[in-house]
Amino acid sequence: MSAQVGRENVVLQSLAQIGACGLFLLRILASIPRSMRHAGETVRQLWFVGAMSLIIIMTCGLFVGLVLGLQLYYVLAIFGGTSASGSVVALAIYRELGPVVTGLLFAGRAGTSITAEIGLMRATDQIAAMEMMAVDPIAYVAAPRFLAGLIAMPLLCCVFCAMGIFGGHLVGVSWLGVDNGTFWSNMTANVDMWKDVINSVIWKSAAFGAVISLIAVFQGYTTAPTSEGVAYATTRTVVASSIAILALDFVLTAFLM
Amino acid sequence: MSQRKSYAVGTGLFIVLGFAALAYLATQTTSIANSHQGASYSVDAQFANIGQLKERAPVKVAGVRVGQVQSITLEPGKDVADVTLSIDKKFAQIPVDSVATIYTSGLLGDQYVGIQFGNAKTYVAEGGHFGLTKSTQPLEDMLGKFLGGGSAADAIGGTYSVKANFTNVGTLSVGAPVKMAGVAIGSVASVKADPVKLDALVTMDIDKKYDQIPDDSAAAIFTSGLIGGQYVAIQPGGSPNSLKEGDQLVLTQSAMQLEDLIGKFLVNGSSSNSSNAGSNGSSNTPAGKH
Repeated sequence: MSAQVGRENVVLQSLAQIGACGLFLLRILASIPRSMRHAGETVRQLWFVGAMSLIIIMTCGLFVGLVLGLQLYYVLAIFGGTSASGSVVALAIYRELGPVVTGLLFAGRAGTSITAEIGLMRATDQIAAMEMMAVDPIAYVAAPRFLAGLIAMPLLCCVFCAMGIFGGHLVGVSWLGVDNGTFWSNMTANVDMWKDVINSVIWKSAAFGAVISLIAVFQGYTTAPTSEGVAYATTRTVVASSIAILALDFVLTAFLM
Repeated sequence: MSQRKSYAVGTGLFIVLGFAALAYLATQTTSIANSHQGASYSVDAQFANIGQLKERAPVKVAGVRVGQVQSITLEPGKDVADVTLSIDKKFAQIPVDSVATIYTSGLLGDQYVGIQFGNAKTYVAEGGHFGLTKSTQPLEDMLGKFLGGGSAADAIGGTYSVKANFTNVGTLSVGAPVKMAGVAIGSVASVKADPVKLDALVTMDIDKKYDQIPDDSAAAIFTSGLIGGQYVAIQPGGSPNSLKEGDQLVLTQSAMQLEDLIGKFLVNGSSSNSSNAGSNGSSNTPAGKH
């Protein structure tokens, strides 16, 4: 799609990529009603990008919570404020670490496989064959994966946050001896349902899920139909998703807080 | 088709797990966990200063949660805050002359409304009113006089050491600054327990260029800021003789325990309040009287 733009002009090329990506998003959104005929495909993708990512998300969430509990305990101990560790763990995970780390893991675990799968479909002319058979590849291949990413990310992020809280509790209360009641009461006193859980966990992770799966599907769909092209597309998915997550995180934090 | 079905079951489980996690986050870790489901009645109280009190902050009797702050509004035309407390129906027997006070849980904790029972035989009801209130105590007012700050002395040109005995050094540690008029003039060289006098012996290294300090000066242990480290403050005396190497500072003032200080303050505040609250009948600020 960016073939007309000079190869050396990186800025123009990136702009063209972003523009093409935006147009691709519109095509996906327009095809969502048609893709409802392939609801089974969406469920299969949800299984593949969501349920299959659960193990890594839960493990990482647990360890993020553990290390956060440990670090915060030592810092808060300086001020005699270890009782606040519950609320600080919860706020750090809900507001930033949960959505961002889940997004980065999701891009690495699910985004790459989406790109590689669609890229190989493109390289082996399966997508051309679908067009031949009057099956809309956007509605059958792209839209289910986009929807699956959009739905899976908030759910994964909730699981990640719950595991993180569990990890923080494990270190803070079970190991370092913060009082159990203080830990929870401090958390419940400072965590707000709308600001922290809905605005941060849900909206942020849904936005990240949409961006990651859009980038992954777009990169796979527009890959050069060679094995080298698929490799590049997969790399670009991870790089572009990571940058997009962190940049979008800043923007969303500025707006949602 | 059976393969597709197993996908569907697994995906369903995944979605259920995700929503279970969301429900857990929402109900167990947010302020929703604090909101009481049971029937409640609301009572008004006016405060001159609510400090950091927030909506949904707990209302406690004898430290036990009995309800929460429902709303905080400014009384129109007056500079007093109108706080509506939502109290559980099962705690219905609160005397009408009870005192509502804004407390802070811990040094860095949130503020809550504490209710001390009065002696009246009648109880507050829905739409009732706590006439006697005590506003938040700005911690700054209490501790303002103990604040300090500054940097360490450079100790160019050598030091001489003097000793001082304290009954309590608090958390004074080796290397803590020694200050005069707020300016660092040396540092603490050692803190030891005196085996005979059973108090703490503090050795201080003072910069040689400050050799005009009278030998009847007093040493006191102060805290810089609320959570800052402790330091030794030298208050010069009037003696014509100066301190020399190995001298002992006789007049000392030990570290103030923040707990003692605040405890004393709160006790004073509440006793003075209850003594004149009956005649006053409205909110007063003990901070203003000290």
